[in-house]
Amino acid sequence: MAKAETPSALLARIAAVGGSGALAAGAVFLFIHYSAPDGHDVLDFARMLLVALSTFWIGWGASTAVLGLFAATPHRPWTDEMAPARGRTAILIPIYNEDPAPVFSRVAAMNASLVKLGLADRFDFAVLSDTTAMDVAAEEVVWFQRLLEATQGQGRMFYRRREANIGKKAGNIEDFVRRSGSAYDYAIILDADSLLEGSTMAEMVNRMEADPELGLLQTVPKIIGAQSLFGRVIQFCANYYGPTYSSGLALLQGREGPFWGHNAIVRMNAFAASCGLPVLSGKPPHGGHILSHDYVEAALLARNGWKVRLDPDLGGSYEEGPENLVEFAKRDRRWCQGNLQHRRLLMAPGFHMWNRFVFLQGIMSYLGSPLWLMFLIFSMLDASILTQPSYISMRLLPASVLAGWALLGGTFVLLTLPKFLIVLRGALTGENRRYGGTFKVIASVLAEIALSSLVAPVMLAIQTRSVFQVLFGLDGGWPATRRSESRVRLGQAWVATSWLVVAGSIGLVIVLALAPASLAWALPVAGPMILAPLVIAGSSRSNVSSDLFVTEQERSPSPAIRERQWILSSWMGESAKASLHMPAIPAGRTAQA
Amino acid sequence: MKHDVEFTNAGMAQWELPNAPMAMPKQMLERPQRRFISSLRLFFQTAFSRS
Repeated sequence: MAKAETPSALLARIAAVGGSGALAAGAVFLFIHYSAPDGHDVLDFARMLLVALSTFWIGWGASTAVLGLFAATPHRPWTDEMAPARGRTAILIPIYNEDPAPVFSRVAAMNASLVKLGLADRFDFAVLSDTTAMDVAAEEVVWFQRLLEATQGQGRMFYRRREANIGKKAGNIEDFVRRSGSAYDYAIILDADSLLEGSTMAEMVNRMEADPELGLLQTVPKIIGAQSLFGRVIQFCANYYGPTYSSGLALLQGREGPFWGHNAIVRMNAFAASCGLPVLSGKPPHGGHILSHDYVEAALLARNGWKVRLDPDLGGSYEEGPENLVEFAKRDRRWCQGNLQHRRLLMAPGFHMWNRFVFLQGIMSYLGSPLWLMFLIFSMLDASILTQPSYISMRLLPASVLAGWALLGGTFVLLTLPKFLIVLRGALTGENRRYGGTFKVIASVLAEIALSSLVAPVMLAIQTRSVFQVLFGLDGGWPATRRSESRVRLGQAWVATSWLVVAGSIGLVIVLALAPASLAWALPVAGPMILAPLVIAGSSRSNVSSDLFVTEQERSPSPAIRERQWILSSWMGESAKASLHMPAIPAGRTAQA
Repeated sequence: MKHDVEFTNAGMAQWELPNAPMAMPKQMLERPQRRFISSLRLFFQTAFSRS
């Protein structure tokens, strides 16, 4: 049932693979020249391989952005949202030990948005709780009751809690499909922090109805609501750079698009027939339940001949992001384990070649960190062995010095050029006005690059540790996300990252002892590791009053965001007045799994 | 799609999800050989532990 990919996607893939391959070949060429003076040894060949691999994946990211910048993104005209959709849609909100009031206030805001359009009768909401903490479960019951009262949503708003969260989020959705799937034509799958405009949901349904081959439609959620410096930088990146990267990705992926696990709509019968996930043989982290289920579900839909599409032009889709590096790293640990587990599926029967490549890409996004670290260690070793102890020394031949700087400069350009091209396009199109004007955007981009330079070595070390933890069989589990807590005190940051400080210090001492001339090259990596507690605590401080990192939704929130803010503040005001008493969970309302 | 599901509106049932089951068959992701090898390994492990 496999369908041929569109010519534009095939061309984009050839361009991206060819471009990244050419960049990797160029990097190898420069490295050969750089390392020529003292002759090539085993370490040089190992470094050459690492340079090729790392450059290919950095080049892949840059190619995606360039494609997004210059290629014509398919902007589908929005259909008339008032056109009565024939299908019935369930809006699924899986929750897991979340703070219920913010979650249910989003449901109320989305419902209000649908009511205003006169479309509420075509959409049901199902809050699917996997909450394990009994006090949180009790609060969920109270706040769901509050939601029903506020929305008059009886009969089309549902809540159920599983006592055993088998299969985690994928299992939670699967439980809904098995129990209630036949009642719906479509399901909009959300996260606890997702928020969608009613018009966006209506358009998602209309696009599904317009294309009977479409099995899944993914929107590009924009991050909103960030308060801390770290959160606002992530929010700025997702809002400002995100659409360009997403356009490139949409072009590359074609009809074998991505599923990011939320803010997407699925065709119920296609999803049910294609996405029943088996438990992999063996124990976690290599086996067991599939952790990063979304990539696998997208591949399974494509395997069964369904189109999976990313539509970057669909606005009105939002989510919230991590507010500090500790929460970011916690989520990243889960993604790392999930992506590395995909190595088991690389050769799974029937998958399209592109989906296998996407799995490989996900794996490499984590293996990239230990590869970079290996490159740095090998370079230090090489420098310590050299009779002229220097990583890139002026004592080497001019051509090799030039090649070394070109390699370093080229890597920096690959990482930053797409960002400045996006700024340039924003200046030419006037897009930058939505972010406070071109000067503020340039200042924000420069500040983001500076902060990223501090955070990148920390994440390199954290990801390397995560990769080794997974390889040695340590299961990271499924820690709940703490969305409302942003501030990390210095003491907390120290507890979380003292191992990084020790590792960075030891690394620096070794460099000083074995290759002191390489100190200047080791400092940008070891320095941020040693300063990690300060970086984490400092970047978790509130940043709302800053003129930098401004986004469109901060300047002018969309109707659903404003509605949600109003609902939450009125609820919290009421609950504070009433000193809300949280009763125990009544029997019969829980444990329906 | 035909909807023959009754959405209950009364009493506590309003909290319940619609009773409209849909089959969701488990997909094959591991090649049979792997399963065979896993089964073989399990068989020998069991036999070894018993002996």
